[in-house]
Amino acid sequence: MTTAGMRRGGVVLTVLGLAGLIALYWMCFFWVSTEVNQGVIQRIFYVHVPAAWTSFLAIGFAALASGMYLWLRDDRLDRAALCAIEGGLVFATLVLTTGPLWGKIAWGTYWTWEPRLTLTLLLWFIFVGYIMVRNSTEDPDKGKRFAAVVAIIGALDIPFIHLSVVWFRSLHPEPVVAKPDGPTLPGDMLATLLFGVLVFSLLFFGLFLFRYAVEALRAEADLRARSAA
Amino acid sequence: MSSGRLVLEAKGLHRNYGSVVAVDDLDLSMSEGEFLTIVGPNGAGKSTLLSMLSGAMRPTTGSVSVCGEQLDFGRQEWRHRIGMLSHQGFLYDRMTVEENLHFYGKLFGVTDLEDRIASRLRRVGLSERARSEVRKLSHGMRQRASLARALLHDPDVVLLDEPYSGLDPAASLVLRDVLEELKDGRRTVVMVTHNLREGLEMATRIAIQVAGRFHWEGSLKGAGWEDFESRYHRVVEGRV
Amino acid sequence: MSTYLTQVWAILRKDLVLEIRSRERVGAMCAFAVLTGVLFNFSIDTTTVRPNEVATGLIWMTLIFGGLLGVGRTFHLESQDGALQGILMSPAPKDAIFIGKLIANFVLLFVVSLLVLGVFGLFFGIDLGRNLSWVVFVLGIGSLGFVAVGTLFAAVAEGTHLRETLLPVLVFPLMVPMVIYGVGAMMPLLSGRPFTEVEGNVRMLGAFALAAVAAGAVLFRYVVED
Repeated sequence: MTTAGMRRGGVVLTVLGLAGLIALYWMCFFWVSTEVNQGVIQRIFYVHVPAAWTSFLAIGFAALASGMYLWLRDDRLDRAALCAIEGGLVFATLVLTTGPLWGKIAWGTYWTWEPRLTLTLLLWFIFVGYIMVRNSTEDPDKGKRFAAVVAIIGALDIPFIHLSVVWFRSLHPEPVVAKPDGPTLPGDMLATLLFGVLVFSLLFFGLFLFRYAVEALRAEADLRARSAA
Repeated sequence: MSSGRLVLEAKGLHRNYGSVVAVDDLDLSMSEGEFLTIVGPNGAGKSTLLSMLSGAMRPTTGSVSVCGEQLDFGRQEWRHRIGMLSHQGFLYDRMTVEENLHFYGKLFGVTDLEDRIASRLRRVGLSERARSEVRKLSHGMRQRASLARALLHDPDVVLLDEPYSGLDPAASLVLRDVLEELKDGRRTVVMVTHNLREGLEMATRIAIQVAGRFHWEGSLKGAGWEDFESRYHRVVEGRV
Repeated sequence: MSTYLTQVWAILRKDLVLEIRSRERVGAMCAFAVLTGVLFNFSIDTTTVRPNEVATGLIWMTLIFGGLLGVGRTFHLESQDGALQGILMSPAPKDAIFIGKLIANFVLLFVVSLLVLGVFGLFFGIDLGRNLSWVVFVLGIGSLGFVAVGTLFAAVAEGTHLRETLLPVLVFPLMVPMVIYGVGAMMPLLSGRPFTEVEGNVRMLGAFALAAVAAGAVLFRYVVED
């Protein structure tokens, strides 16, 4: 895809995502029924969970792109990994903001070592580590390789972190969507949640394409500076 | 050009660090017995070129072949054919000269290691210091020990990065003798330096590298190095 | 295969010889471990917390901080006279180099971890007589997992201008499973519970260590190539 095509794609997805976000908020505030046990506060869930989903999508995507970068050494793959990581960082930050807001009311405390929240915090640090490594070498190619290694190891470690923090402590409500005997969430709540996941994924890929186009332009500018020199 | 077997070949060799170009689309082919000295100002990309020829650095684009075999970073066999002497010795301070050579010999899979170490040390005149820790040696002795290390596995291609820098007269003499022997033994040698006087008389070919490219190639052909020096300055000033 | 083992052994032997001669890292790590034990002792209010209950956690934390101190410098000794480049230009496969350095670091950290166990046992009054061999086994697996991640990222950190300062940011988040399963296995063992009770944790610790060694051996080549 050309850079202009990327940008067009970015605009389309982002506009769709933003329109969807308005719809999601409308659903959140006016349409979906209030959860009986937790009350109004539970509505933050429709932002929190899709954001968490997106940040895990981001690390998976980045690790895949990083692995392929180490194999093929195509700069576009490295750029894709970087953009996914930056997007992931934004959404993980969203999770780490909405989680404690909810926790303060639901549990009476901003922070608990709830496994999924803990996992997101560690994921956030893996994103930060990626960005730090990538920017701390003199030779940019070296930084790209180092960062790719961080993304791959980070993604590989996530199942271990997940299992260990779940084993360590679980205060969170049990998973309600992916139960083997089918979802138990009432229909309208499930619809809102799934719509949220769709909207956040659209936003993620929209922002991803925008960011990617910027990186591609920067690479072009570098190339031009090089051939002019 | 000598007519011997083609030993070292580089095609379209290119390396950049971000937007900085160190080696710019460079071709090179060398036969056995040839001795190429590359001179150029600092920052001309000479060390980067040598790193790529040695397989220590991956080119951004282009390829290097040694004895007809393209350097493939997934394989290691071709590394037996290359020996490198840099201004750094690659030696461990806390180990003796002998232990250092033994260590590298094991990595290179040298078979008759003990005899080989003894003969290399004799050649560079360090036999009686074999059991000294490297940190107790003078700079010249370190370089001689490192020369023994670079030649331990009998490489076809010997690459030298500023080998004369900071050498005392005794070590320079040893180095010159060993290089002459390599030439007589039909080895292929590439030496990089920013000092014009060093080793030019030994070179069968000379290249002047400026800004990542060879801007002049030739040989002394009986002319003194003073003639070459004025040519060098013309070439360098014309390009910088 | 035998060439491979010869190369691994050459790297391992070289690292151990250098460590035995200079005693730089092992000295610093042991001093760190003992002094940490002293500081921990004064940072705990022994009237509210029973020291032997928190000792397991402190042992693992000391192991991780001390391990970072030593393992983090593993490529520093290569960089002094450009020796790392010399090794990388040899025909030794990159994974052989990684495994050699990994085993050397493991030996180093395992020795330190035994010292930590002994010293903390003494300082905090832990009865080490029960399940000692299992406790040592758990420490060994934990050290292996740590060293695998630590050696890989020490190579990464050495190539950046931030050097060792970068290591905690990269390594600590990844170490969470090791701390959880390590402490989870060791705490019951030290209080005399049978091994079968913690077998699941030890298995997870082992799986983590194996995955880390394998990932490190595969990815190391991308870190050290230029």
